[in-house]
Amino acid sequence: MLACTIVNHRQHVGLQKLSALAGITHSSLGPNKMYKFIRDETSGESALACSCFRLLENLELTCGVGQLVYETVRAHQKVYGAGSGCLLFLAGAWSRAATECLQKGVPVARIISAMSEGMDVCLDVCRKCSVSTESLGAAPAESCAATSQGLGLNLLKKNTAEASQASCHLRGTRQAADKTLNASGRRKIKLSRHFYETEAEDASTATQPPRRKAPDVALVAAGLSHGYVGAMNLVIEASRLQSKNNPQDVSGSTFDVSKVATCVLPGLPEENSCVLQGCVVHVSDEQASVAHHLKEQHLKVALINGDLSDTYRHLGFKRLQAVQCVSDRVHFLSSSKAEEWTEKVLTLLLNLEVNLVVVSGIASEKVIQRCCRLHILVVEKANVSVLKALADATGAVPVTYATQLSNRCVGAGVKVAIWGDLAGRQTKPSTAVSVSTGERDGLVTAVLASCVPSKLQALEDQFWACAYRLHHALTDAVLLPGAGVTEMLCVHHLRERAERRHDAGRSGGGVQQTKAGRAANPYRGLVMNLMAEGLVDYISTVMVNAGGVSKVRARTAVSQRLKNHAENQAKFSQLSFAGEQEDGSLRCSDAPAAQVYDGMSVKQEAWRRALDLVLLVLQTDAEIITGVGPNHDAAEGDMMLL
Amino acid sequence: MAMSINKRLSWRQSVEKVMSRLVQKSPSLCTDLPLDNSDICTKLYLLRQLLKSCFGPTGRLKQVHNNIGGHVITTSSSSVLLPAISSSQSFINLIKTSILNHVSRFSDCGLFAAILCLSLIEQAKQSGLSFSVAIKLNKHLLGLCTGYLQQEDCGCKVKLDFCSSHNLITLARSIISSKPACVLTESEALHISKLAVHAFLLTVPCNRPGEVRLGKAVTVSVEGHPVLNSAVFPGLLVDAPDVSGIDESENMRSNPLRVVLFSASLAGDLSELGDGIFDVHPGVDTDLQILDRLLELVKQVVEDEVKLFVCQKVIHPVVQQHLKSRGVIVIERLGNPLMETLTQLTGAQPVATLHTTIPAKAYGEVRDLSIIHFGSRTMLQLHPPGESSICTMILCHRNETMLGELKVAFQKTEHVLRLTLREPSALLGGGCTETHLAAYVRHKSIQEVPETLSALGCSQAELLLGAGGFCRSLESVAAALEHDGGNSLMDLTHAHHWTHPADVMREHLDESLGFCGCGLMEGSPEQRRAYLNTNYPQFSPAPLSRDTAVQPRVLDSFAAKFNALQVAVETANLALDVRYLVQDIN
Repeated sequence: MLACTIVNHRQHVGLQKLSALAGITHSSLGPNKMYKFIRDETSGESALACSCFRLLENLELTCGVGQLVYETVRAHQKVYGAGSGCLLFLAGAWSRAATECLQKGVPVARIISAMSEGMDVCLDVCRKCSVSTESLGAAPAESCAATSQGLGLNLLKKNTAEASQASCHLRGTRQAADKTLNASGRRKIKLSRHFYETEAEDASTATQPPRRKAPDVALVAAGLSHGYVGAMNLVIEASRLQSKNNPQDVSGSTFDVSKVATCVLPGLPEENSCVLQGCVVHVSDEQASVAHHLKEQHLKVALINGDLSDTYRHLGFKRLQAVQCVSDRVHFLSSSKAEEWTEKVLTLLLNLEVNLVVVSGIASEKVIQRCCRLHILVVEKANVSVLKALADATGAVPVTYATQLSNRCVGAGVKVAIWGDLAGRQTKPSTAVSVSTGERDGLVTAVLASCVPSKLQALEDQFWACAYRLHHALTDAVLLPGAGVTEMLCVHHLRERAERRHDAGRSGGGVQQTKAGRAANPYRGLVMNLMAEGLVDYISTVMVNAGGVSKVRARTAVSQRLKNHAENQAKFSQLSFAGEQEDGSLRCSDAPAAQVYDGMSVKQEAWRRALDLVLLVLQTDAEIITGVGPNHDAAEGDMMLL
Repeated sequence: MAMSINKRLSWRQSVEKVMSRLVQKSPSLCTDLPLDNSDICTKLYLLRQLLKSCFGPTGRLKQVHNNIGGHVITTSSSSVLLPAISSSQSFINLIKTSILNHVSRFSDCGLFAAILCLSLIEQAKQSGLSFSVAIKLNKHLLGLCTGYLQQEDCGCKVKLDFCSSHNLITLARSIISSKPACVLTESEALHISKLAVHAFLLTVPCNRPGEVRLGKAVTVSVEGHPVLNSAVFPGLLVDAPDVSGIDESENMRSNPLRVVLFSASLAGDLSELGDGIFDVHPGVDTDLQILDRLLELVKQVVEDEVKLFVCQKVIHPVVQQHLKSRGVIVIERLGNPLMETLTQLTGAQPVATLHTTIPAKAYGEVRDLSIIHFGSRTMLQLHPPGESSICTMILCHRNETMLGELKVAFQKTEHVLRLTLREPSALLGGGCTETHLAAYVRHKSIQEVPETLSALGCSQAELLLGAGGFCRSLESVAAALEHDGGNSLMDLTHAHHWTHPADVMREHLDESLGFCGCGLMEGSPEQRRAYLNTNYPQFSPAPLSRDTAVQPRVLDSFAAKFNALQVAVETANLALDVRYLVQDIN
């Protein structure tokens, strides 16, 4: 066993590693992501990574901290589909804050308690400045009405106003930066997540189809597009199709991502991307002709959960390793057995009058061909969620073996269509078909096309990021003001709390807490200010990525806005209505669709996970590596053999 | 210091002749006086530092992973850390194994035992006493401690009152908050502690006549949910990914459902036959034959009106389909850990073969079942026909690392709470028991009468030397609770443990005194205190006058600490007693 101490004269190696890892993902923050090439020197292979998660996925992280980071980001990505960049950036920024505290001699326990308190402050800010999705369309009117209503104002509205004030500041920043830095020409970025102009707003409103039944989804989605207008438009379309199919949900108050699939089409220009009802899958030309034959018919469907081949056995089945045949005659056993099985399955399918077989695994080439001849379409590699949706909608029961099929297992009412027909482009022979039950299953597929095959992954990721953002926003039913406003408010409150001395603190009654409570944490101000600094760093990095501005200028702009905000805030509490009126009028002049929003749960969770990561690494002082032999070269580094 | 002597003893060698290959065995390696070996000493020191840095609620964490970049575990608990440590020195492994044995029996106080044991070895070496005298003295002093701890009026013991859950929750919280890798806030730690006590109470049967058998608290961990969502459910929760066929209203009826439980695999394979070559006649389809047998079995089960069909391993899809079509609820892949609990809950006997008919007495019963949705998981809740002593704890946390540690901490707590039934008392936590015992031992050993000395066969000076080392070891365990450079002290009346944070200015010292480690005493300016491991005057530690309004805030398990103390001293004595290490290096 080897133990490697990583704390050395207040230079916490783990925190440094965390900060260094976070550094490589700086460019993937904000609306303008820069692609990164990852090259393997030994094999010469390379990968194109376009998001923080893809980047980490392609790196071989062998150190303990690296593994921990990857594990955290993966877990976050799995649930939220977005926000990994934010998570890792803040983990890096706050690990630098923790390192600075250590260098100033702050004990670890103090850093932990102050940082946790800081997190509580930030989460509280999120709760207070959140905007409900329902009020989104009506938000400007409400804001204006607030002034006339006067005392009937509630906290939420007040904070919305506060938020919008800050958002105005940020936009002001942007305009100021524009004037100074780039007076000659306009920005090329449209609907950047962080800084926006009236032209961009117009563009974004124009992209919304006017026939929307539920305008709030479009509004929410537009606010959450964060620069991916194209991908978000596909998501909006998907949500529209889904809610149209679901009679209970005409308002579009939810968006079920589990019933959304993607299908990539390399070689076609990106304009061909679209959203279709049902599940779209690639098929061979031969299958496509069967599909052509079957289109516009109500089909009977069989669902196979597994592979469609004679050698397939269910999960958990252990094959015998060594079987030998004892026989006095020569048999061509395997071929005849397979043949027998195929024959049996085909007869069964014909008897049950099945026209469509949807398989979650793969189907053997031979079976597909034989089915084609009998005009039975076999569709492979369907998602389990697709299978489930089809089962629910058609009454079919998924089975593991085709031989299990019976009348009860077969569903009815499925339609197939060829993608080219659906998209209205018949010029190119298409190899994708859509399987759908029409109204009932709620399945939608986003077909993503690109001429550049290596870009497809990025397009897919963008689509999913947007889809998850919308899904969570609709589930939460609240949004956070985006464009850095929430972060600015957090910075403001953190700094405010840092200055407050010896307040009652939290009312937790534990021993440690009481101890700490009695001797109020003398480092709280320092730690919280450093934490706020991390958020400022985040905002300014996003500004830098958004376009053209230098880091220094971005920082000055942010601190200027914060200073103004702090002054206004003072005025705010005294002359709250005057302040509000100003905001309200400002806000009314904006087109509502132009607002940028962030998801609430995704942001809160990313922050919390980032802090968890920092706290875990901060408290770790040694790495224990097991399975190292005594003849291992222990001379290198701080390795100590036990 | 004696020089370390490494001798190569040439033991009788057997020369093996394998065909034409001749392999000569290397001679065994013998280490004389292992405690004088500098390599062993360095490693002992390293191990002590490693474990000391993990101790207590502000302890530092360790990342454990293998050398090929495997899964990383972040932990500070002995039950995870110690198994990962394996040394090239068998001497280290000897100590490790002994501590691990304690942990496996008592769950808690593993680090306490390890640190105390290593300190005792260190102190014995430094004292210059001959090891045989040191061993005798350690035994004697241990006797003093255990005798004192078992006294009614022991100053560091608290009687647990089962009429109130207060002390039980305190005990649970002390264990949970001593695991910083769980990253819990105050309210989260309290929530989990309350749940732990709740789960423990659910496992104690109330009115069952005859022999009382404790039930079980099963843990299910769910990643990605807030800790405060964790909850306890009576009965057993089992994963049931597909509940579409279960009609809840029909199954909620209260008459018991008959259950069959299979431990044999129903996957339809021949895996249980073992390895070897099978001769099969062509035209014979083994798979089909087994499936036929399975269906025959199922037919019997259905005829016997079984409503819940559970298998530890995989069930063939055809069998599942067959059962479901007849309204039987199927649960497969239950896993070995839950088998015993389910046997206890249903009273069923697991069926281990497919080749006989199932006897009627093998069937069990559940009272009713319901479907529980928790996050993305769907589970079936099973209630026993009689009184329930089985419960399921769903633990939630934000990430895998912290969830893993939380699960360890929860299981420890559960075990420790069970131990309170055997010995309904607890010890003051936060280092107060250690300082109190140290003061007691110091005081007693001074007053030792000559008869004891002659019985021990040592002089007064030797006794004082040995006792000094013993007490310093105890105090160093208390001092190990502090990791941020603070000072550890004890007051000179009741001998409780106090810490002064390193960062508090002199003038604020008084107000920062706060409470002692266990929270029973409040600091006052007239209190006299001494730094630990200094030459403070000996005194008899007075027990606190029991003010019932003041409750200790940190409690340790009596049973675990009592045993840990014995294990530490006996392991140290064993280590001191080792004269030669003989190692076969072939």
